[in-house]
Amino acid sequence: MAVPRALRERWRSQSALVLDLVLIAVVWQVSTYFLPPIVAPGLSAIGRALLDIFIEPDLRIHLIYTSLRVLVSLLGAFIIGTAVGLMMGGSDWFRDYMRPLLNLMQGIPALSWIVFAVIWFTEVEVRIAFIILMVTIPTFALQVDSAVRGVNLDFIQLAQAFRASRMQRYAMVLLPAIVPAIISVWSVNLGNAIRVAVVAELIGATTGVGFQLLNAQAVLDMAAAIAWTLSLVLVLFFYQGIIMMIERRLLAWRPKGEQA
Amino acid sequence: MNPDLPVTFQNVSKRYTQRDEDFLACRNLNFSVAEGETIAIVGETGCGKSTAMQMLLGLQQPSEGRVQVLGCDPFKEFDALRGQVGIVFQTDRLLPWRTASQNIQFGLQVLRIPKARRRRIAGEWLERLGLSQFADAYPHQLSGGMRQRVAIARTFAIEPRVLLADEAFSALDEITASVIRVDLLRLVREQRTTTIFITHSVPEAAEVAERVLVFGRPGQVVKEVNVRDLSSREEAAAEIRIGLQMARAESRRCETSPT
Repeated sequence: MAVPRALRERWRSQSALVLDLVLIAVVWQVSTYFLPPIVAPGLSAIGRALLDIFIEPDLRIHLIYTSLRVLVSLLGAFIIGTAVGLMMGGSDWFRDYMRPLLNLMQGIPALSWIVFAVIWFTEVEVRIAFIILMVTIPTFALQVDSAVRGVNLDFIQLAQAFRASRMQRYAMVLLPAIVPAIISVWSVNLGNAIRVAVVAELIGATTGVGFQLLNAQAVLDMAAAIAWTLSLVLVLFFYQGIIMMIERRLLAWRPKGEQA
Repeated sequence: MNPDLPVTFQNVSKRYTQRDEDFLACRNLNFSVAEGETIAIVGETGCGKSTAMQMLLGLQQPSEGRVQVLGCDPFKEFDALRGQVGIVFQTDRLLPWRTASQNIQFGLQVLRIPKARRRRIAGEWLERLGLSQFADAYPHQLSGGMRQRVAIARTFAIEPRVLLADEAFSALDEITASVIRVDLLRLVREQRTTTIFITHSVPEAAEVAERVLVFGRPGQVVKEVNVRDLSSREEAAAEIRIGLQMARAESRRCETSPT
């Protein structure tokens, strides 16, 4: 029986990743024969620790905390960033004022935001949300602004010629036209947000993957540290899978070669 | 100015300022179009055809004079003409994220027509133009001719009283263009739509219009050819060519004479 073409193509694209993972696992396992377990624990120990994270409710809750913090903060950053980006795209005046500010925000290291958050806020959840927002809002806003300015003028003129209202122009032309840019910035910001969230959880948090990594460091449990890191990677893959599903649905109109 | 005429330009001038220099796009432009009449505007590049059409659509305001469309100032009373003026552009301008049917529904959606009725109207237009089986196809899945047909359907779906066809066939090959030209003319005559064709092509102007306005620089009518009064399309084409020569001569005279 012939394997469907779509399945074959999918396998081809995934096979490189699988090969990479196998290679890393082999190198790691070989290194465990030469290094002490505290430095390079065996694959089975890491696997067990990883399984525990997903099976044990007391551990799983930390992964859920981090995942939700990332998701909620990113949704907030998306709403604020998109609104700012749309306003920048629609007003040169607003753009002139906002662009330097957003560039400045982008230039500030995440670590500085963490320090500011610790000084300004006592509530841990507020700190983490603030840090993720500060790191991801500029990317959303600048990308949306650039996408709005890149919208084909012919489409804008079409809407004008049909005498569409300003709201209709946004809803029927501008927003659908910038969907590809929004999806692409979500993918970029997802990775940023997860990295920043974990670092933020290292300071003052009593829940989350960052807190667990700190615990693993305190007891020199390398297997747990790697397992928590891998669990975060799995969370990233999970969210990326959702983004890809949304992309396939919203961008089904694109020619085959341009699709995800 | 006769308020019964659907389109009237009265002593219209339009000035732009480019790099601190005044640029005159239209000068004392006068013309009108009668109800149900089909006219063509012919002229060389830069003769103010597009500026005149932008003013007619209400996207630009005249510097002097008055433009009236269906008794309204298209710029000041922009919303009053919603659904009354349709345009077929040189390129189809189909929105790539919409299917053929959804693209046809674009203008109806602007007019806030309920979804079920929009779909029915789009379906009727697709059938009329022989595209029923492509209702759910995206623009990239259609040929150039099919796309321009969908664009025409999108315009006619709103049943405009005034139609502009801005170089509507120039992006197509001659065979496809002639087929679509026939389709468009059939629709214009069936609907008795007041129509303005803008074109570079003399044979096209002579074929589609009852009256041809030859534009010269800066945006003014240098010759009017009544195709109905002439014995053949060839004769009309010859008259239009004479008009274009007059326009060129006038343009040269303006360039050489001191301002």
